[in-house]
Amino acid sequence: MKTEPKIAGGFVNESFQQGHMLRDRAAFPPAKRVEKTKVVIVGGGIAGLSAAWRFQKRGFHDFVLLEMCDQAGGNARWGENEVTAYPWAAHYLPVPGRKAVFVRELCEDLGVLKDGKWEERYLCFTPQERLFLYGRWQEGIEPAIGLTQKDRDQFRRLEEQIHTFRETEKFTVPMEVGFSEEIANLDRVSFLDWLRQQRLDSKILHWYMNYCCRDDYGAMTDQTSAWAGIQYFASREPEEKGPLTWPEGNGWIVRRLLERVGRYVRTDRMVHKITQAGSSVRVFAGDTEYVADFAIFAAPTFLAPYLVEGMAPLRSFEYSPWLTANLTLDRLPKNYGTDPTWDSVCMESPTLGYVDATHQTLRTRVDRTVWTFYWALADGPASQNRRMLLSSDWNYWKEAIFHDLERVHPDIRQCVSRIDIMRMGHAMARPTVGSIFSPERKKLKELRGSLLFANSDVSGFSIFEEAQYRGVVAAEHAMQRLSKN
Amino acid sequence: MGILLFITVLLIAACGLIYELVASTLASYLLGDSILQFSTIIGCYLFAMGIGSALSRYINRGLAYRFIWIELLLGVVGGFSSALLFLAFAYSQGFQFLMYALVIVIGVLVGLEIPLLMRIIRDRYHFRDVVAHVLTFDYLGALGASLLFPILLVPHLGLVRSAMLFGILNAAVALWSTFIFANQIARTTVLRIFCVIVLAALCIGLAQARRITQAAEDNIYADEIIFARDTHYQHIVLTRFKDDIRLFLNSHLQFSSRDEYRYHEALIHPGLSAIAAPRRVLVLGGGDGLAVREILKYPQVESVTLVDLDPEMTRLFSTNAMLTGLNQKSFLSPKVHVINGDAFPWVDTNTDSFDFIVIDFPDPTNYSLGKLYTTAFYKAVARHLSEQGLMVVQSTSPMFARDSFWCIAETIKQAGMMTYPYHVYVPSFGEWGFVLAGHHEYRMPTTLPTGLRFVDVKGMPALFQFPPDMAPLSMQPNRLNDQVLVHLYDQDWKDISH
Repeated sequence: MKTEPKIAGGFVNESFQQGHMLRDRAAFPPAKRVEKTKVVIVGGGIAGLSAAWRFQKRGFHDFVLLEMCDQAGGNARWGENEVTAYPWAAHYLPVPGRKAVFVRELCEDLGVLKDGKWEERYLCFTPQERLFLYGRWQEGIEPAIGLTQKDRDQFRRLEEQIHTFRETEKFTVPMEVGFSEEIANLDRVSFLDWLRQQRLDSKILHWYMNYCCRDDYGAMTDQTSAWAGIQYFASREPEEKGPLTWPEGNGWIVRRLLERVGRYVRTDRMVHKITQAGSSVRVFAGDTEYVADFAIFAAPTFLAPYLVEGMAPLRSFEYSPWLTANLTLDRLPKNYGTDPTWDSVCMESPTLGYVDATHQTLRTRVDRTVWTFYWALADGPASQNRRMLLSSDWNYWKEAIFHDLERVHPDIRQCVSRIDIMRMGHAMARPTVGSIFSPERKKLKELRGSLLFANSDVSGFSIFEEAQYRGVVAAEHAMQRLSKN
Repeated sequence: MGILLFITVLLIAACGLIYELVASTLASYLLGDSILQFSTIIGCYLFAMGIGSALSRYINRGLAYRFIWIELLLGVVGGFSSALLFLAFAYSQGFQFLMYALVIVIGVLVGLEIPLLMRIIRDRYHFRDVVAHVLTFDYLGALGASLLFPILLVPHLGLVRSAMLFGILNAAVALWSTFIFANQIARTTVLRIFCVIVLAALCIGLAQARRITQAAEDNIYADEIIFARDTHYQHIVLTRFKDDIRLFLNSHLQFSSRDEYRYHEALIHPGLSAIAAPRRVLVLGGGDGLAVREILKYPQVESVTLVDLDPEMTRLFSTNAMLTGLNQKSFLSPKVHVINGDAFPWVDTNTDSFDFIVIDFPDPTNYSLGKLYTTAFYKAVARHLSEQGLMVVQSTSPMFARDSFWCIAETIKQAGMMTYPYHVYVPSFGEWGFVLAGHHEYRMPTTLPTGLRFVDVKGMPALFQFPPDMAPLSMQPNRLNDQVLVHLYDQDWKDISH
């Protein structure tokens, strides 16, 4: 019998304990000092950092950014060990289209887009993706082998429909650009029911639709609004073979943003209360009370009712629980094949597969690497999955991850020396039926008063471009109003 | 008695056909063109059988005795024919001569068999029965052999052992013929001893056949292996046949010492001689030191930096006497600095500038190597070119991999340089291509170092001319995020080998 090498690791970056303190209305010590500023940004994820980026670019410096964790980045956090840097969550940015004006502007700032050309070394290297099915790997994740004529017809029919939706220019990134009540009906039905209405019942097409919804929304097609399902496909018009990616995923963008706005960021500063009085807003974090003209609430919006005095509970905000793990491999599995890809997915697996952090290396050869393993606990009620996620120990999840990877890499246990696991109970907003066009979201988008909501979940789903858009728009709004006063 | 005689006919017929099939199949394996091999071998064989039949009339005495000797001879020649041919292919130049000689010898002997046998037994039966029975069993034997050969023998025994097995049958026929025809021959004991010796030799051969084929097959595609090592990065094999030393990396031929001067002179001199006062040279890849040998022919060159991934490779070519003989101890020159590292990250982080840059990597057979043929890579390299600098890129064969060659040329162009593709004929490689590139217009040199064997001023313009079958093609560039080259290369070589 082979003895299993000792595998190190544990849970990392846990923040739900702090969240539970808010939920349970724990008592926080009173503020000892008062700091006056024009704007307080709550939350150092992409939305908050983008607001800060906007302020800094416009020469506006009278603001602070409060981050609960010891590291900014939110869903774009990253880690680093002796082998490579690696992502903790969001690992890529689709090549932004023409309508994603702010994202393109950011890309130009960071040298990703130069004179209308995308920097080659930041585009995902060939070969990008592969799918394991019927005992072998195929290039690309959309199933291309073993399809019947019926499957092919249905994939083609769906593609034609998506093309028609794209032509309407109502599905855009950011979503606000094309947002139109005319298609609100698509938000009243689940993506699964919509597919059935189109007489699309191919099993393999449904697998792919479920994969896409799990990947972007952490949900299955029956829990996803048809609008969101269509948005996934119809909103993107890539002008270059992408996506954009880095060893540490979107952590690379965070690093570049922190180089610019790091001095405004206060980490380990959990906000526990926000009050609004007249035209000012008071934000309580640790022993400090920040008095400002505006607060940009860039943290996940579900936290707001626990923080903001007098705010009614939210009804249309659901979140998907996720698990991500970073596996350090001291050698590559034997049946790895000659040309490993950036992203590897197994059709039979309930997980989203893994991404290779050293794929974007310029080296021709790597001996060790880090794989980031993604698992959206999508199947079943979110609350139940969330409980399971938090109640099971590291050993349980380690075994679950190994069992899953052994489908495609039987010798994976012999390769891995470390597994760090991050559990996120509320990883991303879930675009459930009716959530996108809900009156609650419409109200939050309006940017009224001194508390401006900017998290991507205001759009209804958690992607980089929405977070950046909301952050930038909130910053612009605040500056405009301040200049009038 | 009768049935034993006719089984003898059946067996000798089968043996004859097996030797013929073994020779044809072996020739097809080793030389290719199976239609030609099968046709000519069957033709020669049948013709030789005719000669044998004609010769049979000169045998008047001791028919049975001579028949037994013919069987023994056939057992030896036929039985060892396949092993002999394998070894001949690996170790000598006269494979085809030996093959046809063997086929003719076997044919003549087989041609003698049936006429002799018919005459031996003619007194026992009516003539019409002799003809009918002998020919019937002759053809039955042929049928049996032709079915056994592809279904059982080749898949399970292989060519060498199949021939030996049937050699044993021939010798066995000789042995039992000494009993069947005992009343017609004298000195049966001596004959039987010979039979046993031949049988024993063939049985030993059969048992040892695996070693014979292994010894031979090691040598089918390469000469004697004089060095083999698995380094951390690759499998290095050196072979030698007489004065020809060949280097294989991961079983891809890198050079043959007989004609590598053509490759390395063409790689270096059209570019380096065109630069007015080259002082600093960079070589990426080229761990055999042969390109550096050519570079050191320019006394004005003050330093040569060579970046090669594999330290074992550069150490081997710095220390082994035979190999330093080839590269003229180029790595031992004080001007040469060897850096063992991955080229792309090195190029990306280093800031030195060079007058001449040589890029000599293995062909883009996979996506890892393909990164070294991308616009991103060439852009990174171009930053190191001095004002008057030029770079030259090993760009695979414009003949066998035409799409790939022009894809590489286009990629360099898209990286913002002017390109000057050229090609050279290297016998061990075939037609091979390079791309010279720089930020300014290239002019062919008017002088060259003395003592070159291939490149000369007068012949140089011809290198830059591409005949129609290698003429430029319009291709997409190879990019990190869209490595079209690896697909093209794969397809190009598939097209050649199918």
